[in-house]
Amino acid sequence: MTQSSVPLISMRGITKRFGGVTALEGVDLDLHAGEVLAIVGDNGAGKSTLIKVLTGVLRPTEGTIAMNGEALVMNSHSDAISHGIDAVYQTLALADHLTPAANMFLGSELTRNVLGFEFLDNKRMRSEAERTLQERLGVTLRSMDVPTDSLSGGQRQAIAIARAVYHSDLKVLVMDEPTAALGPRETARTLKLIEAVREQGLGVIVISHSLDDVFAVSDRIQIMRRGRRADVVKTSESNSTQVLGIMVGASTEQAS
Amino acid sequence: MNDTTVERGLNAREKLDKYLALLGPMAMIAALLLLMLMLEPARYFRVSNFDIILKDAALYMPMAMAMTLVITTRGIDLSIGSVAALTAIIMGYMVKSYGFPWWVAVSMAISLGALCGLINGLIITKLRVPDLIGTLAMDLAYRGFALVLAKGVVLSRFPEEIVAIGRGSIPGFLPIPVVIGLVTIVAGYIIYTRTRLGRYAIAIGSNPEAAELTGVPVNRYKVYVYVLMGAMAGLAGVMLAGKLNAIQATSAPFFNLHVIAAVVVGGTSLFGGRGSMIGSLAGVLLLAMMINALVTLRIEFFWQSVASGAVIIFSVAFYTWIQMKDRDGQGGFMAALKTPENKHLGRFLLIMAVIIGALFILGWLLAGETTAVR
Repeated sequence: MTQSSVPLISMRGITKRFGGVTALEGVDLDLHAGEVLAIVGDNGAGKSTLIKVLTGVLRPTEGTIAMNGEALVMNSHSDAISHGIDAVYQTLALADHLTPAANMFLGSELTRNVLGFEFLDNKRMRSEAERTLQERLGVTLRSMDVPTDSLSGGQRQAIAIARAVYHSDLKVLVMDEPTAALGPRETARTLKLIEAVREQGLGVIVISHSLDDVFAVSDRIQIMRRGRRADVVKTSESNSTQVLGIMVGASTEQAS
Repeated sequence: MNDTTVERGLNAREKLDKYLALLGPMAMIAALLLLMLMLEPARYFRVSNFDIILKDAALYMPMAMAMTLVITTRGIDLSIGSVAALTAIIMGYMVKSYGFPWWVAVSMAISLGALCGLINGLIITKLRVPDLIGTLAMDLAYRGFALVLAKGVVLSRFPEEIVAIGRGSIPGFLPIPVVIGLVTIVAGYIIYTRTRLGRYAIAIGSNPEAAELTGVPVNRYKVYVYVLMGAMAGLAGVMLAGKLNAIQATSAPFFNLHVIAAVVVGGTSLFGGRGSMIGSLAGVLLLAMMINALVTLRIEFFWQSVASGAVIIFSVAFYTWIQMKDRDGQGGFMAALKTPENKHLGRFLLIMAVIIGALFILGWLLAGETTAVR
């Protein structure tokens, strides 16, 4: 974990109201390069809303976001991507009938020009996809030529992550419930993928319901409760009983 | 941290999967050829007859190419027959009543077809009318326009260039419509595998939400696909007018069903995301051969619809069965008949048969004098 003095991402006083409902109230978040920050909390605690603000899907009612100390203005998800912030969704957003390479480059295909017409460069996309999976995530797929739905959950996850990290300027990767639909073996593989991304100096945010996974992979844990940041703990100095206590509000209510 | 536990390479099923689209129609073509070899070899296996089959098939090739893309996006276009008739009639008036050069009229027919497709696409994406209803309604509307323009008139005797498009031949080579048809199929194959249009068509049909999330302009590409479909229907209208050297407002009534049948037989899934251009070509050939076989066997023209319908049902059922991933607990046909749910349906079928039978006997007993139908 490389802790620099200026965080890669620092969100300050984020408040989001939907009409009369306050989803987030004055939430802070710090993410450093090369660390995995887990966000945990009960349903409706504001995890997803916070992440949507960070990825530009939602605009905060109040509060600021800064990257390396400079204020970011994001009006859309594509703004966030251009700043190097991308997300891997729980559904992975893969087209099951397309090959891994086609999925990795979906929406931003590599092309080559033949007589003034743009044609897909399938060969280059295939080799680039294979290289990215291998070099950056340490994954070798069963085959690069099968439809994506015939691959395992972990390999599908790898394709979705490779899609995000392929853009070399990616700095922050947000993963929403990466292990929710996976068995134990695939979960272990996915956690390995997250570590591989961290080792390359990216900041990773993982939202998860599984405290086991959170403790296995994260460096710090931010606990959300009822739209507020209840606490941030270092994973190495905490345990799941303590985190669970903060999540449901037991320990802080005792303290106050 | 290389993952060595994973087996590499394709398994047998996946290797077969690639050829599945061809296997289905090829098997049916083989069966058909075998049948004709037994029943009517002399009249079916003639060069002149294969010429007829190829020209029939050629008419459907451009539309099958575009329909493959439409169905791959999980869409459907039921309006193509009316679009073909409407554009061909407008082309007819352009050359006959206004004296336009043939190539201007032909280009106009294709462009108007594309415009009809654009309207279809906008109705589906902007007005959010489901494709089935939207194109069914536009089928009525375009047919109506054609009837308004042509009334009962048959436009005939087109310039020889237009007739050549429909039934001419390049000496020593293939008939011109076959060349046009094959060119569109090859273009379709390139579109399908090597352009954004094809790639996005698969993505949209496979997982529209994923396509949207990854930044694919879903609605725009849906519209493109319908525009291509309309243009190809316009081209088919020109080819039909040339082939018959005549066109009227009621021409091409079943283009939609024949083309959808051909495409579905060729392994393109109605559930989206999966299509095959070569399969569609095979499907078109199968359909043309089947219709020709019915004619050769002197079976009444109207049975064509029955045959096309049967082929659609058979193919879709076959591919659905093939795609089923879990076949556990299926003990064959007789075992399926014994499940409680199917017993109910069986009883229902029996009751309907009894009612119809009883009505027939009742009518027969109470029958009075007969009058001739015609």
